Amino acid sequence: VTQIGEVALWIALAISLWGVAAAFIGGQTRRGDLVLAAEHTVLGVFGLLAVASGAIITAFLRNEYRYQYVANYSNVELSNFYKVAGLWAGQTGSLVFWALLLSLFSSIAILQNRNRNREFMPYVAGTLLAVLAFFLVVIVFASNPFKLLPFAPADGRGLNPQLQNYWMTIHPPTLYLGFTCFTIPFSFAIAALVTGRLDTRWITTTRRWSLLAWFFLTCGIIFGMMWAYVELGWGGYWFWDPVENASLLPWLTGTAFIHSVMIQEKRGMLKAWNIFLILGTFLLSIFATFLTRSGLIESVHSFAQNLTIAWIFLGFLSVVTLVCSSLVWWRRDQLQPESQIESWLSREAAFLGNNLLFIGAMFAVLWGTIFPLVSEGVWGQKISVGPPFFNRVNIPIGLMLLGLMGIGPVIAWRKATARNLKRNFTLPLAALVLVGAGLWLGGIHHTQALLTFALGAFTLTTVTVEFHKGARARSGIEGEGYAKALVHLVARNRRRYGGYIAHVGLVFAFMGFAGKAYNVEKQVVLRPGESVEIASPFGHSYKLSYQDMSWYTAKNMTKLIASFRVEKGGRPAGIMTAEQRAYNQREEINTEVGIRRSWDEDLYLIFAGVDDAGGVLTGANPRPATTFRVLVNPLISWIWLGGFITAMGTLVAMWPSAVLAEPKTARRPVATREPELVEA
Amino acid sequence: VKKQRKFLVGGGTVAALVGYLMFTGMKDSMVYYHTPAELVAKTTADPSYKDVGVKVGGRVVPGTVHFDQRTLDLRFNVVDIADGKTQFPVHYNGPLPDTFKEGRDVVVEGKLSQAGTFEASTLLTKCGSRYEAGAEAYES
Repeated sequence: VTQIGEVALWIALAISLWGVAAAFIGGQTRRGDLVLAAEHTVLGVFGLLAVASGAIITAFLRNEYRYQYVANYSNVELSNFYKVAGLWAGQTGSLVFWALLLSLFSSIAILQNRNRNREFMPYVAGTLLAVLAFFLVVIVFASNPFKLLPFAPADGRGLNPQLQNYWMTIHPPTLYLGFTCFTIPFSFAIAALVTGRLDTRWITTTRRWSLLAWFFLTCGIIFGMMWAYVELGWGGYWFWDPVENASLLPWLTGTAFIHSVMIQEKRGMLKAWNIFLILGTFLLSIFATFLTRSGLIESVHSFAQNLTIAWIFLGFLSVVTLVCSSLVWWRRDQLQPESQIESWLSREAAFLGNNLLFIGAMFAVLWGTIFPLVSEGVWGQKISVGPPFFNRVNIPIGLMLLGLMGIGPVIAWRKATARNLKRNFTLPLAALVLVGAGLWLGGIHHTQALLTFALGAFTLTTVTVEFHKGARARSGIEGEGYAKALVHLVARNRRRYGGYIAHVGLVFAFMGFAGKAYNVEKQVVLRPGESVEIASPFGHSYKLSYQDMSWYTAKNMTKLIASFRVEKGGRPAGIMTAEQRAYNQREEINTEVGIRRSWDEDLYLIFAGVDDAGGVLTGANPRPATTFRVLVNPLISWIWLGGFITAMGTLVAMWPSAVLAEPKTARRPVATREPELVEA
Repeated sequence: VKKQRKFLVGGGTVAALVGYLMFTGMKDSMVYYHTPAELVAKTTADPSYKDVGVKVGGRVVPGTVHFDQRTLDLRFNVVDIADGKTQFPVHYNGPLPDTFKEGRDVVVEGKLSQAGTFEASTLLTKCGSRYEAGAEAYES
């Protein structure tokens, strides 16, 4: 029965190819019936991909190991939760999943616009179907999830234990949601180029899609960091792995895009730039998918090398780049800016600086990521660059962006006067100096960390002042209490204040990154009954007393558990455990670290080795010598908190007006409302 | 072009800055990537090459893995994947990566000592096998 999924994929490919033709021909000849048929094709492709995905999940749940894909990623013992997640556990399934998400978003976009933007829709539908057709070609011809094994094994190989983690289950789909979401604004950009309607329409109509994409991408990256922190067992969360970089690349251009569109909306500048930014973001999303799936570059994530897929992807990227560049060249006259940057001290210039820095960071990360390939191609010698390269480039850029986050939102448009600068930046600069000097005297001498905290204080102050000024003015005019005025202020200007909230989150995350400069690490060999002390950079110290080593057998694994009693500054601070698990199926040891989280620092415990595991299991060796690594990671929680706040701010910025609108207030005439609310 | 002057100046400044950071960053962290056979050939031809830090990608030879659970000293032989012959011992200190196993592909970064042991500062287990291997195992 599950073979029906393969049939669905073939039909989806056929109709999407037909739909591309119908859309573009219908658009050019103004035949509404063809356009409508193309739009319905998008919905049909979604239905067929849902059938195919359903078939894959069914095959997982029914343990149909005759499928190579199911056999490779599941076994009888695996819980149903991970069997459903099997859809995106490996290459073949995740491509189907990618296409499924894209067809879902495409269908929503089509339905949203059934009575709007009609001149765009033929080319929007055509572009979306072309992207879908591309993925279906890859799936059907190069990476078929329904490929059968010559015989049906009794059981599958099981899922890699490191992937049996909650964050790992939601991390890839979240990233994919972000990648696919960016295709919607991209398709509208193409439609704008083809139709020549190059005003801000394509931007305002897809504003929420861009923010939604950015929201998912941000969450996806943070989930990946959380997974690495909990599961990889070395206390870090980011190590400039090619696949991590791949997810960061579209994030960098996407962040530049959601800022630069504001300049086009307000001042009619950066028109071609915005087209290239969304094109770049789309291409990098595809590139990220391809890099993960092709295994071209050494990576801890890389899947089996599959060069056919690599070539198909590269071909697609080249064609898209060529077509888009030609379209931009063709429309170059309509893409002229309506005004220019008048002064370096202006909001336009701050936004431009932001954009250029993001693009600079993107090129540096891209360069470092593909350098092994480039050097092999050019000099015949593979050369790789490591984390020092990425840190060297990105830390200064990050610090400049941190400062710009405080300048951009409050500096005047066109040209800032001395008065404007003085009014907006006196207090933030005072905060910068005070925090910087205070921390220096308090012993924080690490330059980058010190700059992060000082610039963070600067940016937080500008944002706080913005909130305060707005709320005070509102409570003065409307006669509301301060708190109520603050809430209404945000609800009334969600785009602006949502952005500020996102900035606050990013400042917190930066502080968390800076905490790394003060990590403490210690390696010890202990027997039960012994203890170790480790000093925190905050001055107090932890004492960890090794209580005992226990073990038990669970469903598909044997666990060794080392228990500790923790004292913080001489006071009891709970129990910690760290584990080693041996999975029956995969003959692998899996380390489960112990983490004691608090708002200021994490105590992180790695169970690295035990001298006689067999003796522990038989009871012959109840007090084994065990090797541990103990780490104190300052400010880690600020990264997760900051990520959460940023995500919330993005939600505020994109929330549709109907939901948060104040029910008691009479509807204002449409014309006086903010443009982006009308577009909703 | 005159209209776009600020744009170009800004772009040029950022490009110069990023270019400078990239250039110095490359100098600090560029590392040659070799197969075991390449590294042995290079160091035989030019013994001073032993002082250059390199990355080596190879396969863990089954039966050669020794892990001291107390000191976390890991010793194993790495063999060239292509020729299947050229191999040398590797020494690494640290917790065993969860995916490390005999027969796995690994990438180690470090230097070949005068004694011929590769002193690795980092050890990366390639997960190609971890995710997708064994497709062939079923077919055989």
